[in-house]
Amino acid sequence: MVPMENYLILSAIVFSLGVYGVLARRNAVLVLMSVELMLNAVSLNFIAFATYLDPDRILGAIFAVFVITVAAAEVGLALAIVIRLFRSRSTSNVDEAAILKW
Amino acid sequence: MLHEYGHIGILLIIALLFPMGALVTSWAFRYVGVRPFASQDPVKTDIYECGVRTEGPTQVQFNFRFYYVALLFVLFDVEIIFLFPWALVFDDLGWAAYGKGLLFIATFIVGGIYAWRKRALEWR
Amino acid sequence: MSDLDIVGPQLAVLVAAAAVLLVDALIPQHRRIVPFVALAGLALSAAWTLSWVARDDYQTAFEGTLSLDKFSVFFYFLFAGITATVVLASIDWVNRAGRGQGEYYALVLTSCAGLMFLSASRDLITIYVALELSSIPQYILAGWGKDNRSSEAGLKYLLLGAVASSILLYGMALLYGLTGTTMLDGIADAIAADGESHRSLLVLASVLLIAGFGFKMAVVPFQMWVPDVYQGAPTPVAAYLSVGSKAAAFAVVLRIFFEALGEGFLSDDWSTVFAVLAAVSMTVGNVMAVVQTDIKRMLGYSSIAQAGNFMVGLAAISVSGEEFTLGASSVLVFLAAYAFTNLGAFIAVIAISQRIGSDQIKDYAGMWKRSPVLALALAFCLVSLTGIPPTAGFWAKMYIFNAGIRADLAWLVIIGVLNSVISGYYYLSVARQMFLGDAEGADRVRVSPSIGLSLGVATLGVLVFGILPTPLISAAKDAAEIFSRQ
Repeated sequence: MVPMENYLILSAIVFSLGVYGVLARRNAVLVLMSVELMLNAVSLNFIAFATYLDPDRILGAIFAVFVITVAAAEVGLALAIVIRLFRSRSTSNVDEAAILKW
Repeated sequence: MLHEYGHIGILLIIALLFPMGALVTSWAFRYVGVRPFASQDPVKTDIYECGVRTEGPTQVQFNFRFYYVALLFVLFDVEIIFLFPWALVFDDLGWAAYGKGLLFIATFIVGGIYAWRKRALEWR
Repeated sequence: MSDLDIVGPQLAVLVAAAAVLLVDALIPQHRRIVPFVALAGLALSAAWTLSWVARDDYQTAFEGTLSLDKFSVFFYFLFAGITATVVLASIDWVNRAGRGQGEYYALVLTSCAGLMFLSASRDLITIYVALELSSIPQYILAGWGKDNRSSEAGLKYLLLGAVASSILLYGMALLYGLTGTTMLDGIADAIAADGESHRSLLVLASVLLIAGFGFKMAVVPFQMWVPDVYQGAPTPVAAYLSVGSKAAAFAVVLRIFFEALGEGFLSDDWSTVFAVLAAVSMTVGNVMAVVQTDIKRMLGYSSIAQAGNFMVGLAAISVSGEEFTLGASSVLVFLAAYAFTNLGAFIAVIAISQRIGSDQIKDYAGMWKRSPVLALALAFCLVSLTGIPPTAGFWAKMYIFNAGIRADLAWLVIIGVLNSVISGYYYLSVARQMFLGDAEGADRVRVSPSIGLSLGVATLGVLVFGILPTPLISAAKDAAEIFSRQ
């Protein structure tokens, strides 16, 4: 059986890639995808913990299901806002959405 | 530990062998002079031998209205995640869980009525 | 059924949200009644909470994930009041915007239900879902305005909020991995059993949790979204964000840190983190607020500084024995006083900007001559934000600084008092503009009945609790009892 540490290391790597993407990407859609990466890394963590540590193997899995659902809602909403911004400004770059100072 | 990954390694080798085999074979045939017949048939030179002919570039802007359809699909798709475990343990939990499940579905019905009355389901 | 009875207050709000949507979609000709349906739902929710107080039978629901106790009851009343005031203050603005009337109130109500769930949850999964239930409507509301600014505010709030919640989730995952449960009391037991051996990982998890909730509480260094979103979002929404989500974030932080991570060796670590964050937030917020010219941006920075004040209460836990809950109860007092005061200030800003069409502080000059009542109300709320008697803000600051001193945090209290002086400068300079400046237009500024009512309620609250703080303080003490250690 694969030891738990491997899952945790994988999840940490994916999470860091997500953080890098959020910081480095300028396109709002790509930033969103990076956030998804972070959320998936966390889900992986939950499932690994549930499988190895939790005798019932259930709480972590439930948590992962909720994370997936909420992520779907968040992406649906974010795309709506991006589309709206795109229609009025014809760009989806976060940089150019800068009437308000960051 | 390492031999657990061995299965994946074998799979990887097979996955690499297949395309490489095809490439090497065709290169070897050309090297020894075996070539396909030169064909004048325009169908033969098409990208796809069958199916609908491609038209225009692939990087087009999608119609905005697809967004509504996609969003509604995602919503009702994700709903199933929660109904599935509910259905699995339905017998053990009894009527109280049935009522709470109906409450959950009722919220979706409210959303459905709203989307329908706001004409989000129409192509306009 | 008793589970559903326990979450009745939230259920009433959610049913009202559904009713609002259906009224808007099915009988559009009667759209005008929508805000009153929303208010009725909030009143029903408050009545339901009151019935639980009368029954005096506090219990938990849904396998202990939601708890009805004096703490959550305190917040149910607070959130119902905040939301009702915001609904009243929005009527004019939403009517003028002319679209999406049903959706606006439905989103406000859904978010309110999320806040209520958040204050009652005792389980990490429930906390996460409630947090998102309250946040996602807020993202939409922040992008509600017609102009680009508003969409931009919505996008920024959403992207940063999503990053913050994934960091929060990482902390929760660590906590779950270390303790094997998501229930707060289970976590506390596991940490008491063999927490010492995982001390560094537990500290890492707490830091991640503080980062995630710090975003919602709007403390430095997780504050960068605040001024942008407050300026870009419609003003009623900014008012809602500034009090609602902040109060809920503090409620859940109190629950997690006092209940699950309250173990002595751990609380020493995180209370230091809170103390440092409090000092930095107060200073950065106040210094940045001084240079602002837009009143909504100024209120945004001032809310960062106020979050620093709240955190003094979070840091003040090293008092042992009977006074262990002093810090928690002082946070509750401050939250309630701040809710009234900040709502009052924002509603006055709504009323004034609707007429003069500007958020610039210099355009507020001579407001005293154009509308004495509005100018007085705004000035009174600003005085309360500074913390000068006879206002609710004064008692709140007194109480929280008292908790700080009892917990040997004199250095923090000194920083807090110095910051109050800085904040007095910019709050009172707005008042000076209004009373001593020359009016540009001579026309009177009129107020609609709904805004007048909500402003009256908020200002009256500030005044009443300023003169008679005892009921508020004893309610907060009762609510904080759940954290007491016996």
